[in-house]
Amino acid sequence: MKFPSLSSFSSPSPMDHAQCLRLMVFNSLRAGRYIHRFWGTSTLSLDSFCAFGYPVICSRMKEIKVKDASTWCTLVPDGEPHIQSVCEDHKCSSVSVKSTPEIEKKYVHRVYDAIAPHFSSTRFAKWPKVAAFLESLPTGSLVLDAGCGNGKYLGLNSSCYFIGCDISPPLIKICVDKGHEALVADAVNLPYRTNFGDAAISIAVLHHLSTENRRKKAIEELVRVVRKGGLVLITVWAVEQEDKSLLTKWTPLTEKHVEEWRGPRSPCVRCPSSFSLESIPETEENGLSGHMKDSRESLMEDMQQSACLNPQNKDDSLVSKDGRSQQEYFVPWHLPYHRAEVSGASAVALATGLAKKDDKKGAVVYNRYYHVFGEGELERLVSGMDNAVIVDKFYDKSNWCVVLEKTL
Amino acid sequence: MRLLTHNMLSSNIKGVTNGFPLRIEVEKVVEKEVEINHDFLRNIFPKIDWKAFSDASRIMGYVELPEEAPEPSVLESDLEFLRKFHHALLELHLEEGALVCPETGRKFPVNKGIPNMLLHEDEV
Repeated sequence: MKFPSLSSFSSPSPMDHAQCLRLMVFNSLRAGRYIHRFWGTSTLSLDSFCAFGYPVICSRMKEIKVKDASTWCTLVPDGEPHIQSVCEDHKCSSVSVKSTPEIEKKYVHRVYDAIAPHFSSTRFAKWPKVAAFLESLPTGSLVLDAGCGNGKYLGLNSSCYFIGCDISPPLIKICVDKGHEALVADAVNLPYRTNFGDAAISIAVLHHLSTENRRKKAIEELVRVVRKGGLVLITVWAVEQEDKSLLTKWTPLTEKHVEEWRGPRSPCVRCPSSFSLESIPETEENGLSGHMKDSRESLMEDMQQSACLNPQNKDDSLVSKDGRSQQEYFVPWHLPYHRAEVSGASAVALATGLAKKDDKKGAVVYNRYYHVFGEGELERLVSGMDNAVIVDKFYDKSNWCVVLEKTL
Repeated sequence: MRLLTHNMLSSNIKGVTNGFPLRIEVEKVVEKEVEINHDFLRNIFPKIDWKAFSDASRIMGYVELPEEAPEPSVLESDLEFLRKFHHALLELHLEEGALVCPETGRKFPVNKGIPNMLLHEDEV
């Protein structure tokens, strides 16, 4: 049976006086005019960044995370690193894991805010595996999409109720304008009651989290918000890309540079000269060949000027010496000039060095931070959980995927 | 924001023991009709915290819901009740206002129907 179509409205029936007083009507919300196109009409100003709580100044904390989460390395005034154990208290460790590192603020949050309409226009192909998962859910299921982006999967199963959330207000606006229920929230700290949902999905989200603890936390949150027996589908970009040439088009990041950005301290002060954002690789806005039907900008190819020094060991188990150990990347997004707001997010981004102009391609080029996953990495993140088990796992179209079931 | 969504939102500020339900401050409510689905309502009914839901509907200006949750059998046959349940759950939208943490009083804004539940740095 079909869940109510949110795009069809009839005129309100005759109302009594009391109802009129309670009702505040907006003509723009009536049938036929409710769904309006957000694309191309939004402008983002620096104010809107600030309004959504994104600080634009650098913090002065001096803690730097080293290796894994069990120790913190603090620089004391004499400059000597001083290792101290992190407190075992849950509250202490969760303070750090829920705070957004600078690299994500700059190279995930702000980028998606700036590219939202254009990004949304390329996100329409429904991934069959995700569609199948959603269509298998029973009627009346409550489905939570954490990191829903432009809401592509919201409402895919018309017999279920979807709630989407994303860190990006412009993307959520796109969802709501389409009639979906959506809110602005952080995947690492979901504002949902425990055990409420029937299913949750996290499609191409976790690879934007820059520490293993944050990725684990996001998975824990997905499991927390579904009921016992509820299912969670997670997909992430794989190191093992089907199109290996894609990896050459991304900018690898050295571990040293990523570590600097993980703390609240801004990288702007210490931008290493060896790392340059000018080596913008070529055209592909996304390496996700699973979305083959998405439109792509056909632009000329740049020479790949690798700014990468020797990739160092990661904080994960993969320590091979070849290129496969590289998991941290900047993946470019080319925002065509005619799509970029002249006075708005892109102007600010260019002024602050967050993006570069590429006149040859006629685009503003943003970089998105990715931690791509190696084989077995998702399973390893889940293996320590005592309230969920893996019921399915697969590799599909350059993505690693798992389905979890909540057991307790 | 619909009341079904409100029924599952909770304040996740550091140190809060029970952040549910969020108190609703209304500036603007909009009604948008959607097609009723009885099966869906019967499936979702057991999940709803009825007191929070009926209190919230009153704040949104709808007084037709009983304060006490009805027996589930009511949903099998009472079409009038189903209509009211459907209306309050899915057709009332908080367009402008705020959701207030019951323990800290912190307000999460709702603008254009979108709640912003992001926390500040000192709240995580």
